[in-house]
Amino acid sequence: MLRIDHLTKIYGDKKAVDDLSLHIRPGEIYGFIGHNGAGKTTTLKSCCGILQYDSGEITVDGISMKRDPIACKRKIAYIPDNPDLYEFMTGIQFLNFVADIFSVSAADRKSRIEKYAGLFEITGDLNQPISAYSHGMKQKLAIISALLHEPKLIMMDEPFVGLDPKASHLLKEMMKDMCAKGCAIFFSTHVLEVAEKLCDKVAIIKGGKLIRSGTMEEVKGDTSLEDVFLELEEA
Amino acid sequence: MTKALLKKQMLEVFSWLYKDRKTGKNRSAQGILMYVILYLFIFVSLGASFFPVAQLLCGPLVGAQMGWVYWCLLGLMGLFLGVVGSVFSTYTTLYQAKDNDFLLSLPIPVSRILLMRLLGVYALALMYELIIMVPAVLVWFLNVPVTPAGVICVLLIPFVLAVLALVLSAVLGWVVALVASRLKHKNIITVLLSLGFIAAYYYVYSRAYSMIQTLLVNAQAFGQKIRTALYPLYQMGLAAEGNLLSMAVFTAIAGMLFLIVYAVLSRSFLGLATANRGSAKKEYRHKNRKAKSAAGALLQKELLRFTGSANYMLNCGLGMLFMPIAAVLLIWKADMLWEILTEPFLEKYIPLLAAAGICMVATMNDMTAASVSLEGKHLWVLQSFPVRAQQVLAAKLKLQLLLTVIPAIPLVAAVLWLLQPDLCFVFLIPAAVLLFIVLMAAFGMAVNLKMPILNWTNEIVPIKQSMSVLVGLLGGWVILLALGGIYYLAQSVISPALYMALVCVLMLALIAALLRWLFTAGSKIFSTL
Repeated sequence: MLRIDHLTKIYGDKKAVDDLSLHIRPGEIYGFIGHNGAGKTTTLKSCCGILQYDSGEITVDGISMKRDPIACKRKIAYIPDNPDLYEFMTGIQFLNFVADIFSVSAADRKSRIEKYAGLFEITGDLNQPISAYSHGMKQKLAIISALLHEPKLIMMDEPFVGLDPKASHLLKEMMKDMCAKGCAIFFSTHVLEVAEKLCDKVAIIKGGKLIRSGTMEEVKGDTSLEDVFLELEEA
Repeated sequence: MTKALLKKQMLEVFSWLYKDRKTGKNRSAQGILMYVILYLFIFVSLGASFFPVAQLLCGPLVGAQMGWVYWCLLGLMGLFLGVVGSVFSTYTTLYQAKDNDFLLSLPIPVSRILLMRLLGVYALALMYELIIMVPAVLVWFLNVPVTPAGVICVLLIPFVLAVLALVLSAVLGWVVALVASRLKHKNIITVLLSLGFIAAYYYVYSRAYSMIQTLLVNAQAFGQKIRTALYPLYQMGLAAEGNLLSMAVFTAIAGMLFLIVYAVLSRSFLGLATANRGSAKKEYRHKNRKAKSAAGALLQKELLRFTGSANYMLNCGLGMLFMPIAAVLLIWKADMLWEILTEPFLEKYIPLLAAAGICMVATMNDMTAASVSLEGKHLWVLQSFPVRAQQVLAAKLKLQLLLTVIPAIPLVAAVLWLLQPDLCFVFLIPAAVLLFIVLMAAFGMAVNLKMPILNWTNEIVPIKQSMSVLVGLLGGWVILLALGGIYYLAQSVISPALYMALVCVLMLALIAALLRWLFTAGSKIFSTL
């Protein structure tokens, strides 16, 4: 679903991402871990077409992000680490805006908004301006907006930050459900326990370079993901 | 602790001087020096404009042994400017400061936090008040023989007067905070109040000279009235004449008022600073909604952005209001206008002047010049969505066109009704206005793409303090002046109708070139911001 081949992104004279290659298949939950500034967000932003990369290739469902970014973006959803949404809109205005952009029919959007807003318990707040939302509520709204067009690939940057335990649990369950239906999920996290329990595969990035990737078992072996991560970080 | 708080507050108040709002980084020493010179220039220029007013009042009033009335009047003006200059910041500085939660979590008494914040407001009020008080003091020293006591008092007066400005500003800011915590439709109300204020200012400004003359003629009666009505300022006036006791009374009154306000605010500060300012909750109920096209959704988003910000509406959309107002005024004051328009030397310029006049009012709408910058930290939304940069830019252009063309229609109609021009101008004037509006929208957007500011924390920066808005606004005026100048030079060889037709063709060519750039190179710039 998502293929990253030799991705390199340079800021000034610093290589934020250096020759990174990954392949995320349909139905996989792929965790992406690394210390602050390792290049996780840059990679995710490049994969969803926000950042232009210097070399390499990114394809979504076989379509090149460089050649046809619009077709790629139709298949994906991105949830940033800090959900800076349009504060001049109400929650429902934002959801309708996203649904309009992705051409979600009136009936589908109604049923999906009803379903997801109900699950995340923010139905009553959808008429409020986003400026009045807490960080967690913005995060929930960003997640709902990402699910409206039923994407084939979801990329999330630290999706559990700011969520209450119930919403966090709900999101994990939803991630599993979506993958069971063939959706691919690529997400970054600092919560290694979550990655260990949730992910089919994991990639560890350090200084822009991919230092380990594979199935959870391949990466961690008999130890914990935390031990492997710390060991690789100190190496 | 107090020293650290004071330092933080002053750094915050004067951050505009040493911090580059575009990059968020500190300016170099040279940069700061340049800004100091620039602001000093602005300060001196503004102060110089009050110099003649002070001169006009000082001589006659001192001659009539009523020097204190001079101080009352100038003091009142200084007070007014100090309050106006600081009141808009008071609300945000006191009650909406981003670090309120942080400071309240530290072991600092609430009253101390408030005191430091008030000192920040005092510094701002003093800065504005000095624009009037510096020329007032200079004119006084030029017209009145000085005594040591007089010099001391006159030099102290601006600083004590700023305490009164602080008191008024703090009270007004408190009222705003109280109202804001309960109000719906804050943006529209802010726009209306601001427009009311601007209208009142221009009304007073237009009548200032006759008011001063009336005042000078009735100085004795006026003096009697303000002696009781504005007692603190009366004492200030006496102090300026060298009365040390009056200086003490004036200072004591200002100090007492400050202490009262400080005590009252200390009690309510915590509640207001931590109030949840969300408007009354309106429960959402699921309902069917018609789906829009991506272009329609983007246009609606731009419209919500515009109406969601009083700053944006006031600074980039005033033409929308002024054009219908101008249309009404044209019809209402038609007789008066005809008296001017029938001047023989004006006759041949009338159609050109009419078109230029409408275009001039239309330049007050410059939404596109700030619209790219306003995406700011939200830019990721559009960049991650399946929309082309061209669609995004087109929506921004459409907003300005809609909000400018529609209000321009009544103004153009009023002009045509009033002038009853030749048939060719019935077509040429609307065409020229329409093309100019399109040109300005495209120009504003091009400038903003070339000079975007995206990492702002206060929307005032891209709306009011960005180079793109300045260039977008002044660009329109420069174009109009240039076109006027060219016609003035070429009038002997070209008729007004032909000239206007040629200008229309020229604008059409410029629009085509600009739109082509916007939808190719400009779109590329937007995609890589």
